[in-house]
Parts: sequence; C-alpha cells; structure tokens
Amino acid sequence: MVISGRVPLLLLMGLAAVVLRPASGTVVLWLFGVAILVGIDLLLTPKPAAVGITRRQPGTVRLGDPATAGLALVNTGTRALRLQVRDAWQPSAGATDNRHRLRLAPGDDHRLTTPLLPRRRGDLRAYGVTIRSWGPLGLAARQKTYDVPGSVRALPPFESRKHLPSRLARLRDLDGRAAIRVRGQGTEFDSLREYVRGDDVRSIDWRASARTPHVVVRTWQPERDRRVVIVLDTSRTSAGRVARAAGADDAEGMPRLDAAMDAALLLGALASRAGDRIDFLAGDRRVRARQRVHGVRDVAARLQEQMADLDPVLVEADWDALAGAVQGFGRQRALVVLLTALEPSAIADGLLPVLPVLTRHHRVVVASVRDPELNRLATPSDAATADDVYGAAAAEHELERRARMRDVLARLGVDVVDADAAQLPPALADHYLHLKAQGLL
Amino acid sequence: MRRTPRIPGWVLVALALTLALGVAVWTTRDAETHPDALDPRNPGPEGGQALAKVLEEEGVDVTIVRSADALDDSTVDGSTTVVVTSTEYLAESTFERLRKQAAPGRLVLVEPSYPVVQDIDRDLTTVGQSDDRIAADCSASVDGLTLEVDNATVFRGASDDATCFATSGGAVLLERPDERLVLFGAGQALSNDQVLRADNAAIALRVLGASERVVWYVPDPADATADEAVTLSSLIPRWIGPGVWLGALSVIALILWRMRRLGPLSTEPLPVVVRAVETAHSRGRMYRRSGDRGHAARALRRAARADLATRLRLDRRTDATTLIDATARHLGAPVDAIGPLLTEDQPPPATDHDLIRLAQELTRLRREVRRG
Repeated sequence: MVISGRVPLLLLMGLAAVVLRPASGTVVLWLFGVAILVGIDLLLTPKPAAVGITRRQPGTVRLGDPATAGLALVNTGTRALRLQVRDAWQPSAGATDNRHRLRLAPGDDHRLTTPLLPRRRGDLRAYGVTIRSWGPLGLAARQKTYDVPGSVRALPPFESRKHLPSRLARLRDLDGRAAIRVRGQGTEFDSLREYVRGDDVRSIDWRASARTPHVVVRTWQPERDRRVVIVLDTSRTSAGRVARAAGADDAEGMPRLDAAMDAALLLGALASRAGDRIDFLAGDRRVRARQRVHGVRDVAARLQEQMADLDPVLVEADWDALAGAVQGFGRQRALVVLLTALEPSAIADGLLPVLPVLTRHHRVVVASVRDPELNRLATPSDAATADDVYGAAAAEHELERRARMRDVLARLGVDVVDADAAQLPPALADHYLHLKAQGLL
Repeated sequence: MRRTPRIPGWVLVALALTLALGVAVWTTRDAETHPDALDPRNPGPEGGQALAKVLEEEGVDVTIVRSADALDDSTVDGSTTVVVTSTEYLAESTFERLRKQAAPGRLVLVEPSYPVVQDIDRDLTTVGQSDDRIAADCSASVDGLTLEVDNATVFRGASDDATCFATSGGAVLLERPDERLVLFGAGQALSNDQVLRADNAAIALRVLGASERVVWYVPDPADATADEAVTLSSLIPRWIGPGVWLGALSVIALILWRMRRLGPLSTEPLPVVVRAVETAHSRGRMYRRSGDRGHAARALRRAARADLATRLRLDRRTDATTLIDATARHLGAPVDAIGPLLTEDQPPPATDHDLIRLAQELTRLRREVRRG
C-alpha cells in the first residue's frame, strides 16, 4: 500500500476544522475521516496484476553508446488503470528517465521506452519492473515489483580504433613494396615492376630485365595467412587498476584487462586486414572464451562480443591450461601474443615453465600494461617524507625485478612490449607490423 | 492526452469531509462550546456535566455563570454555595470580586491554583500528591467516605482550619469556617470520568450540594484587567494544541508518503577495485615498519647505479668503482663526493632522516647526470 501527497495535504486541511472547533476530538474525527477515505480508495484500486508486461530486449551496444529498453504494457483487467511504472536497471546501465506515468483503458496496450547509457562493460541486467496502481481518488495505491528479465550487453569500447588508419597505411606500405630489407623466409614473391629511383638495387631481377628495355625489380608482398593467437589473461594481475597514461590524474584508472582488450582489438583488426587468421583465447584458472575468427569481415566486432562479459577473476592464472588451449588451435606456427602483466612473481611461477613449449612452436610476444604510477613512486620529490622514500625503495626494487624478468624473457626468445595503458595498443600494433615487415611471422 | 473533465474525486473528498465535520460538530457540540475540564456543560471525560445534572436532579438549584459580570448579577445569599472550577483563569481582580460577591454564601474552590491559594493566605501551602485512596477521617459531613483519585492537591494551613482526607503532606479538603471558604484539591473526583470511583460521587454531592442553591462559576480570563498577569496558557488560542497535533499527523503522513519508494533500490555487482601500485605501496610500508633502512638504501643505490650506467652508456653490469669514476669524470666532481653515495659497503643509514637525505642526494645526482 502506498499513500500519495494528497493525504498529508488533506490532514492539514483539517486545521480549518480545528480552528472552528478547537478540541482534540476534532483531530481524532478528522484523522478518522481521512483514514476512511484512504481505505475506500485502496479498496477501489485495481490490482497491479491486471497489467501484462513484456520486454523488448535492448540488445548489444558499444560502451558509451545509448540503447533503448522497451516495455509493452497491456491492461488485461476490466477497469481503467492509472499507473506509475519504474523500469529499474542496475545503476551502471544508466537508465535515466525510467519512471513513467500512464493511463490504460481496459484492453489497451502501451509501449514504454527507457533510454539506457551503459557505463560498464559486460551484461547489465534489468532489476525489476515496479507497477504502482492508483485508486480513483488518487489517495492510495497498490504497488508490486515484477521480475521481468532483461539485459543489455555493453561491448568493450575499442578506443584505440583511432590508431587503426595509420597502421593500415603502414601495412599498405609494406604491401607491394620492393623488399628493401633482408628478404626473410616468409616474404612472398608478388610481381615484377619497373624500377623507380629509390628501390633497392639488390631487388633488381636481372633475368627479367634482360628481356625488356627497362630495368625490372621484383616486388614482394608481406606474408599472408599467418596465424595470430591472442591470449588474454583474466587472472588476478589483470584486475589491478592503472592510470591511462603517465601523469593522467584519474583516481580510479582502468583495469589492466580493459587496456589489454583494447590492444587485442587493435591487433585483431589490423591482423585480419593483413590477411592473417585470428584465434582468440581468454582465461585464468580455466579457459573463459575461445574463438577462431577466420574469414570474418569485422573481426573487432566478433572479438568485442567475446570479450563483453569477461571480468578479472581473483585467482592465479593456470598457464598450463592456457598453453594447452593455444596448442589446441593447431600445430601450425603462429604469433602468440600473451596479454598479461609483467608481474615477476606471477610470471616466474606460472608462465615461465610453459614458455619453452610455446617458443618451440611459435613466436611469442608478451604484451604488458605498465603502471606509470610505479615510476612516479620511484622518483621521490625533494620534499619527500620517510614514507615516500621507503615507497621509492620498494618501487625501485619492483622495477628492477621487472627489468630482470624482461631479460629472462628476452633470453627465452620472447619479445616484450611494455607500455602504458593508452600506449599499449599502438605499441603492440607497431610490433606486429615490425615482425610482419621482417617476415618473422 | 488529458482526459475529458468530469466530476473529479476531489469533489467527493471535499463533500465527505464536510459531512464528517458536520456530524462531528453536531454530536459533540457541547464539548466544543465548553471544552474546559470540570465545566458543568462539558460531557467529555474531563467535564463536570454529570455532577451538575445530578445536583439538579437532587433538587439543588444550579446556576451557571461564565463571567465576573454574570456573577455580580447573580444573587448570593446565606444558603448559596459558589463553586469555582478552572481557577487558573482567576486573575487577582476577578478573585477579589468573587470573594466580595460570594461573601454571604459559602465558597468552594475546586483545585485552586497556587496564586489563588497565596491570595487567600500566605501561610497556606499546596503540594501535589498522588495517593490512591484517602479516607475522610474527620468530623465533617463527609466522614466515613473514601476518596479515590490519581492526582490530588493537598493543603496545609493554620491549626484552626478543619481538614478532611488528611495525607502525609496535608489535607485534600480544607475548610475555614469563619470565612465559609472550602478548598477542595481533588478535582478529578468531580469529573464525569471518575465521579463513580469509590465514594467520589457522595463526596462531590456533599461538598457542593450542601446548600439549596449552587452558583457554578467558570471564570473567564478575559475578565482580568489589562495590567494583570494571566497564565500563559490562557493567552494562547484554543486551537493551537489540536492544530499542533494535526500538524504532527500530517508530517507523519508526509513521511509515509515520501518513504515509500517506487520499487526496491537497484544494486550493482561491484567490480574488484585494487590499484596495481598497491603492492609496491604496502611493501614500502612494510620496510618502514620493520625499519629495514639497509635494504631500502641498497635498493635505492642499486637503482641509481643502473640508471647512471644507462645514462653514461655503460654496461648495466659494470662494477661500482668504474661507474663512480665515470660519473665523477662526467660531472667533474671529486670521486670522494660520489663514492659514498653509490657504493654498497656503506653502513646502513642510522635514522629515517639519513635515508631521506640519501634518497634526495641520489635523485639530485641522477638529475645532474641526466642534464649533462
């Protein structure tokens, strides 16, 4: 049962009666009268159960884009309804303006729309639909909350999309260009064309030149149809929040996992344009997502779909299982990109033992989200306190361990890309292009 | 999409309330006109209508007067009892007029207020008392009866006053025969509500109905002259009390209205929020708590050496002496000034202050080398 603002107003109107007849009995009688009216109104109120609710699912949106949640209400009862409806979503779904007032004649139906603006990645759920049915006097109402399942899927935003055009341009540069670098075993012969100034003289095809009046060079196209396996680590180290860039002053920062996803998306989009096949894998103690993304036009969208409901889990990564899953994609040589944190203890315990198996078959790159805060902590200001200095010592110690870990990884033949959250996607893409140009895939 | 206007519920509400108010006024119109306690026309629990009616039925001629002027107009002779309730409305001048007018007859003051009692005799004291049952225990007409009230006022005066219903603090009934004045402290015993308890009815009839005529005087505070202090409560409009109650009720209704939300609070499954740098922070705090300055100093020196080696384009694994020489040469500074900063074999800093100084000097050294 719910009362409206008219009830206190009605009670206050009793002041006139009290002035006319100043006695405590007046108050009691007035209260009694108001209570009877409210009771009558409540008895005359139609039950909220007379409303039939169906939901129209808002579907999938990219994080930061608006969505619309729809509700279809139909009056299945025999009396007109005056309703207040609230379509509640979890707060991060950004359901503003989710309270509606409407009037439904018997048999009528009505569509309500609630704008959503997801603020968090993943599946954001509806919390329940509350129906408040008012009585004819507008004094009292009945209210009930129904569980009408619904969810909106917010995809990772792919903020690094802005880096894609410039990297694609560089990819085109590689494509069809005379192989001015040392011809690696992977670069493939493409065609012959006329020599222009600037071409490497070593790429002149003398045999072909002899048959034509011009000097002819061989051109090479970057190798195609290589495999790229992107492994996203969702274990405890991915939960740590880091600032987006050095000096950025956002108190919360973003989880390493989100930065890693951004990097994976850019790499996936770039590699698919370069003609490579993408395999995606995410997991911690167990494999949480795995997908072959071959021959698909919009690889980023597929990857986003896979990543949408991944969240950091506070367990240690089981690299044995993950490496097994990587091998499960096929024995063919591949570029395996491990998106994890360069956390010496976690890597030493988990990743190092399985790395030799991976490096034997594949080219392995470890891409790590650096925490700029650590470097800031390591350089105390002039007005440092004892806490700052001890913190600096701890940070230096940590940085040193990381440097040593990088050395160890390099000695195992693993490339390490370590960059701030905002810089990691372009850095990883550049590293990929570098490998591609070298024919090292 | 406004609906077509028809007679709204509001008209019904207003109609119903007006009706309810009308019924209420009609049923309790007497209580409304005379709301004071012990008023002879008040039928409420605190009123005195029952007693007045019974007195009339017993053949006593009851005259009700409600102002000092009306009292002056009434005839008071030797066989008249003047009963005064609501004595808190008696101002000094009104009381004066009352005494003069009531002088031929007998004056009964029911629960006289303190100023009134003081007005009669400075030596009279009054005390509030809450004895349950009080026996009369005296030679007056009420002997053998038992009074039963929740609260009473007791009086103690000169020794020649006749008292009844004596308690430890004084007597409920005090009579000064020479002035024909009676003070009765148990007003509750006269009320409609309690007049039937124990012997209250009998006591009331004997105290009030001892003579042929009763002039029941309900003083009016408006009779007081301008310069007299009247009790504060008599100045406040009567409707303030019930009005406040009504206001409180509507506040409660307001709270009930605002309190009920449209559906439960929606909750958010919160993500893990932990800053990545937190481990370094806590390790630093651990160093500090254990006071491991040697370890901290070693870490700082090692980091500085690695940094300097990179800056001076030396191998990272260069030993300390070579590095110190190179640094000194680079900066043009004496080796002795730089050596103690960078070598491992120094004793650990004795205090936190020393450690801070070491850190600052190392930072300065690194900055200088970086600058050139």
